[in-house]
Amino acid sequence: MSDSVDVIVVGAGPAGSCAAIVAARAGLSVVLLERGPFAGSKNMYGGVIYARMLDELIPKWWEQAPIQRWVTRRSTMLLTDTQALTVDFRTDAWGEAPYNGATAYRPDFDNWLAGHAEAAGAQLLTSTTVTGLLRDSAGSNRTGAIVGVRTDRPAGDLRARGVIACDGVNSLLAKEAGLYEHTDAKHFTLGVKETLALPKEVIDERFGVRDREGVDIEIIGGTGMINGGGFVYTNLDTVAVGVVLKLSKLAAQSLRPEQVIAGLKANHAIAPLIEGGEVKEYSAHLIPEAGLEMMPKMTANGMLVAGDAAALCLAAGIWLEGVNFAIASGMYAGETAVDAIRAGDVSARGLAGYQKRMRTTFVLKDHRKLRRAPALVLSDRVQHLYPAMVANVAERMFRVDNPQPKPGLRRIFAQERKRAGVRRRDLIRDAWTGFRSYG
Amino acid sequence: MAGTRSDWVGDYFMETMAATEFRVHPDAHIVVDGTVCADCTTRQCIVACPANLFVPTTDGGIVFNYEQCFECGTCYLVCNHEGAITWNYPAGGHGVVFRRT
Amino acid sequence: MTVVVCLKWVHDAAQPDDVRFGAMSPADHSALELALQCGEWAHADVTAITVGPAQADHILRDALACGVRRAVRIETSHAVSGADVAAAIAAVVADAHWVWCGDYSIDNGSGSVPAFLAAALAARQALGVIHLSFGDAPTIDAGVIEATRRLDGGRREVLEVRAPAVVSVEGATAHLRRAGLTALRTAAAAAIEVIRIATPTRVDDCVVQQYRPRARELAGPDGVSALARVLSLTGAGGARGAASARRTVVLDPLDAAGRILTELREWGYRT
Repeated sequence: MSDSVDVIVVGAGPAGSCAAIVAARAGLSVVLLERGPFAGSKNMYGGVIYARMLDELIPKWWEQAPIQRWVTRRSTMLLTDTQALTVDFRTDAWGEAPYNGATAYRPDFDNWLAGHAEAAGAQLLTSTTVTGLLRDSAGSNRTGAIVGVRTDRPAGDLRARGVIACDGVNSLLAKEAGLYEHTDAKHFTLGVKETLALPKEVIDERFGVRDREGVDIEIIGGTGMINGGGFVYTNLDTVAVGVVLKLSKLAAQSLRPEQVIAGLKANHAIAPLIEGGEVKEYSAHLIPEAGLEMMPKMTANGMLVAGDAAALCLAAGIWLEGVNFAIASGMYAGETAVDAIRAGDVSARGLAGYQKRMRTTFVLKDHRKLRRAPALVLSDRVQHLYPAMVANVAERMFRVDNPQPKPGLRRIFAQERKRAGVRRRDLIRDAWTGFRSYG
Repeated sequence: MAGTRSDWVGDYFMETMAATEFRVHPDAHIVVDGTVCADCTTRQCIVACPANLFVPTTDGGIVFNYEQCFECGTCYLVCNHEGAITWNYPAGGHGVVFRRT
Repeated sequence: MTVVVCLKWVHDAAQPDDVRFGAMSPADHSALELALQCGEWAHADVTAITVGPAQADHILRDALACGVRRAVRIETSHAVSGADVAAAIAAVVADAHWVWCGDYSIDNGSGSVPAFLAAALAARQALGVIHLSFGDAPTIDAGVIEATRRLDGGRREVLEVRAPAVVSVEGATAHLRRAGLTALRTAAAAAIEVIRIATPTRVDDCVVQQYRPRARELAGPDGVSALARVLSLTGAGGARGAASARRTVVLDPLDAAGRILTELREWGYRT
C-alpha cells in the first residue's frame, strides 16, 4: 500500500463524500478520512436536506437515499409566551420526485453518501482523527505547501498531491493553514435538539400528514432573551425539537441550552405536538451562522476547504440551508482538485478555479445576496420586539371587541408599534434591509 | 425557568444525556487549566456548554468532565482566557456517536 | 506454533443488521491484544476466527489491521449453541497451540465457548484471566504463561499454562493497540476466508405460552344423587388426582428434555 495518494479528503460528511466521489470517479486515488466510527456519527443539523445538487452525482438519488420524510408542509412561526402566528404552506408537489426538502438522520444519510464514495473507488478510513497538516520541507512550517496530513494512528502520516478539508465547523485544518483570520463567538450559533419518539400514526395525525409526508416548522421567538430560533420537524417515528442560540448571548443570559428547549417545549403552541414523546437522543452542534462575514480563504497551497469548514451555511431566517452548500462546495472542490492535479499545479493559484466555481453558482451568489440577512434575523429587534408586536396586531385584528367598533388596521399597527417600543425609523430601516436581502 | 443551578441539572436532563451514546476514551481530549479559570469572572463555559460538563468548585476553580462531550466547540469559543481550554477531538472512533440526529 | 484469537461480532439489539452499531466486546479487544503479544512472544502468526454473518467481517478487518495475519469467518445456516460454535472453531484450528478468547461477550454471553473449545481441542484451559505474564521465549512446545484468575471472595488463582491451551481474558486485562494507517488501508482490501458449515439442530426450538387447558369432551356424570354426580365431576373426596399423579422417570438428558416437552404440550403450555 503506497504512502502517497492523489487526494486526501478529511471528513466524510456531505462535503467530503461528494468531493471524494468526484475525484475518485475521475480516476484519482482518494483516501477519505473520518474521525467517527462511521460516516455521520458526529453530525447533527437543524433538520432539512435539500439535495437537488445530487442529481448530477447520483441520478434518482431520492429512490435510494435513507430519508425520513419529504417535507410537504413548511411553516414559519412567530412565537411569544402566549401567542403564535404561523404562515403554513403545504403542497403536493414536494411529495413527488424530484422532491424539495427531506428530513433525514445524518448518521444514515452521511453514511449512505460515504458508501457512494467507496463505490466510486475512494478508500474510506473511519475512526481516524486528522491531527495536523504535513508541509513541504522546502517551506517553513507556516508557509510550506500542504502535502498531506498527520493522523492519530501509529505511523499515521499520509501524503497526497492535494488535501480537501471538509472537517466541519471547527475546522482545525483551515485554522492551521491560516485561512481564518480570526474566529469569534459572535459568528456562531449553538444548535441543540431532542429527538422524541412517538408512534408514526400519532405524528401523522398531529401534524396533518400521511405516508412519507413531513413537516418543518421554523420558529422565531421562543428562545427567551437569547437571540436565536427554534425548530420542530417530523421524522418517520420521531419528532425533533430544538433551538439555535447565539453564542455571545447565551453565555450572558445565565440560561442553559436545555432550559431554553424546555421553555420552547412547554409553550402552548408546541407542547401538544410533542406530548408523550420519549427522548431518544440529545445532541448539540455549532453552526457557522454569520455567512459571508466569517468566511475564510478557501484555498491554500495544496489545500481546498469545503462545507461547514468554509462556513458555507446559510442562516437567513426564511432560508436555513447547509447540506446543499456542503454537497455543492464538495463537488466543486473535487472538480478543482482533479483539474489542478491533471494540470500539475496544486498551488493556491492552480486551485483558484474553486473560488470561481463558487462565485458563479448559488454557493456564493446566495451568500452575497443574503449577506445582511443573518445579522438582521438575529438582531435584537427581530428577535425580541417584532414577534410580540406582530402577534399583538394579529390578536387585535381577529378579536371581536363588541360593543366597541372595529379599529382600523393602521391604528392598531401604530399603537402596537409604540407599545412594543419600536421606533418608526428602525422599522423602516429593517424593512429596507429585508427588502434588499430577500427581494 | 428560574436560573438556580439545581434547576439546570434536572432529572430530565440527566435522562436526555443518558439517551445519547458516548464511546469514552481513557484520555481526556479537552483539558481545562483550572488555575487560569480561578480569576475568570464571566465563566461563560458553565452556562453555555450544552452537555453541562463545566462544574465550578468551591475553591473558585472549574472542573471539566470530558466523558459526555458533544465535541461541539462552544467552550473554546466563549472562553475569553487564553490557555484555559486546550481543545481537541477525541482519538479516532471515540467520543459521541449520534444515531438519530 | 499456531496462535488463534476467537472474536464475536455483537450486534445492536435494536438494529441487528446494521454494521455501524456492531462491534466486538471489550473482552475480545483484550484477547486480541494478548493474542498479538503471544504471537510476538512465540514468533508465530496469529489467526482471527469468528462464527457469524457477513457483518462480522468488520471486526475481522479490525483484527487484520491490528496485526493478525489470517482471518476466518465460519458461517452457519442458523443460530448455534456455544458448544456448536466451539466445535466449528475446533474443526478449523485443530492444531492451535494457543487460543485466546474474551471471557464474556456483552450480549449476555454465558462465557461457555472457551470451555467447550478447550474440551473440543483437548487443550488445557485458563478461564477468566485478569493478569498474564509471558515466560521465557518458548520452543515449539515448551513455553509457559503465568495466568492469574479471579475466584470467588476476592481470591486469586495463579496458573502455569502450557500449550495447547485456551485462555479467556477479561476486558481490562489488556488494552488493544491502535492499528497503523498503512495496516488499516491494507486490511480494508484483504481477503477473508469464509467457511460455510451446516450444523445439526439438536435442540427442539420451542415456545412456552400461558397456561391454556385443552378443550376436552366430558361425558355426563354418572350417579344417582346430585351429590354423587358433583363428586364424580369434581373428583372431590374420592379418587382425586389420578391424572396428576407424580411420576419419576430416569432418562438420559436428551430424552428427558423430549419428555418434558411432551408433558408441557399435554398440559397445554405448548401448542
